Amino acid sequence: MDFLLQLLANGLVNGTFYALSALGLTLIFGLMRVVNFAHGELYMVGGLIGWALTELVGANFFLALLIVVIATGAAGYLIDRWLIERVRNQGAESGILLTIGISIFLTNTALLIVGTVPHKVLSPFANKPLFLGPVVLTQSRLSIVAICAVLMLAVHLLIKHTTLGRAMRATVQDAMAASLVGIRTERIHGFTFALGTALASAAGALLGSIYVTQPTIGGLVSLKAFVVVILGGLGSFAGAIIGGLVLGVAEALWGGYFATGYVDAIGFALVIVMLLVRPYGLFSVKSERA
Amino acid sequence: MSMLLELTGIEAAYGKLKALHGVSFSVAQAEIVALLGANGAGKSTTLRVISGLMKASAGNVVFNGKPIANLRPDLILKLGIAHCPEERHVWPEMTVEENLRLGGYTCSSKTELEQRLEKVVQPFARLRERYRQLAGTLSGGEQQMLAIARALMSSPRLLLLDEPSLGLAPRITQELLDIFRQLRDGGMTIVLVEQNVHNALSVASRAYVFETGRVVAEDTAKSLLGNPDLLRAYLGG
Ligand SMILES: Nc1ncnc2c1ncn2[C@@H]1O[C@H](COP(=O)(O)OP(=O)(O)OP(=O)(O)O)[C@@H](O)[C@H]1O
Ligand SMILES: [Mg+2]
Repeated sequence: MDFLLQLLANGLVNGTFYALSALGLTLIFGLMRVVNFAHGELYMVGGLIGWALTELVGANFFLALLIVVIATGAAGYLIDRWLIERVRNQGAESGILLTIGISIFLTNTALLIVGTVPHKVLSPFANKPLFLGPVVLTQSRLSIVAICAVLMLAVHLLIKHTTLGRAMRATVQDAMAASLVGIRTERIHGFTFALGTALASAAGALLGSIYVTQPTIGGLVSLKAFVVVILGGLGSFAGAIIGGLVLGVAEALWGGYFATGYVDAIGFALVIVMLLVRPYGLFSVKSERA
Repeated sequence: MSMLLELTGIEAAYGKLKALHGVSFSVAQAEIVALLGANGAGKSTTLRVISGLMKASAGNVVFNGKPIANLRPDLILKLGIAHCPEERHVWPEMTVEENLRLGGYTCSSKTELEQRLEKVVQPFARLRERYRQLAGTLSGGEQQMLAIARALMSSPRLLLLDEPSLGLAPRITQELLDIFRQLRDGGMTIVLVEQNVHNALSVASRAYVFETGRVVAEDTAKSLLGNPDLLRAYLGG
């Protein structure tokens, strides 16, 4: 019983990390209809900037996180206005090709600058164990989970309850109507991509303090994020969170009771089952969709 | 009579296909003017040019003494022109309230926004009952009312209405026409595009008849209504 509780706790912690890692991907699809194949690379960039700031510059972890969010958010805005803008409304394929191009560029630029060595973001949280009844978790993981939760709540409130969030949803649901009420839709697209980018890189910086970051991890991160959003329903905010938790718990249980070696295959097994029984994901709620 | 809106020689095209070949007309303050014409005559395109959704390749639009042709839609809206488009275009996955609040997107004062909300839903009791309902689940008539109320949330001086009665039951249509009269009596200027000539002429003071991207006739509603032969000649109906 205690073992099961421990596995569940581990699974929920990892699941929260998965959820945050996938949120940017699902938002960019849900609010812009762009399938962002550079998602994992944006995560990687966040992790590497976080590492450079905390390790090389000696900056405070939270300051580093703030800088990552602002810098990559600004970069995301420019990527949208300069690049994505050119392929808008030209079908999914051009967006996919463009973001694949961006991902290749980011990976190789990162390789040129920092090489292949894995790096870690320095956080103020100790690796000290915390005993919660029969369950043991590290202080660092619990702290990062708390920050993830705050971030996810903040993004939810932004999208549901602010004028900017309403403008984002209006723009994806009917861009012409959005123009007619005075929304400058091209800017809103830019802000939405900035938000998705900032979220991806914030996840990279946060989780870079738990796992390692290196220029080539983008592909793996994207893969897991796609598993999460396909489980939860591409474009759904709640779906990303549930999908992340489901994946985390399933992996933990499988790893605990069966073979640790096949943990990464669990996600794909879940995706295959999901595509067979509920091809639109657990949450085909269309809250963020047109 | 000085004119609130004046179009002269407007030309516009979708790609290579020219849709307007020099459209000119004018609308006075607190007047309802109908734009009539067969399908594809260019009525909607004309409204799109006025509200800035489409660029004019030639010609002038003057609103309240200011040239506004080819300004950005948000700037034209801020000058006081609201465009309620064909087929409603409400945001289906947002609530009635969210649709309305976004209608006041350019309004920066919170108290002002609440006042507008209060005023705008006044004639549309059904909308108030459905504040929390998703717009996509409303009936056609309710969606049309929402689209009009949303346009009014910008507190416009000039309202462009594109086929507001399309697909609505006659009773609802009459309700809407009454609301247009009330708005005009309150000082609003309205350009009304309509397929149903008799409905349009029952509220408008004047009408322009469009044919393949041109204005081919202009007359008062009274004389058009009193001259069925003329109507038939222009509109085939
Ligand atoms: N989005 C578009 N792309 C290409 N051509 C268009 C488009 N919209 C309209 N047109 C063309 O422009 C011309 C004028 O169309 P417009 O929609 O302005 O007519 P309308 O008078 O509003 O007709 P209706 O009564 O059917 O709404 C038509 O020939 C139409 O085919
Ligand atoms: Mg039309």
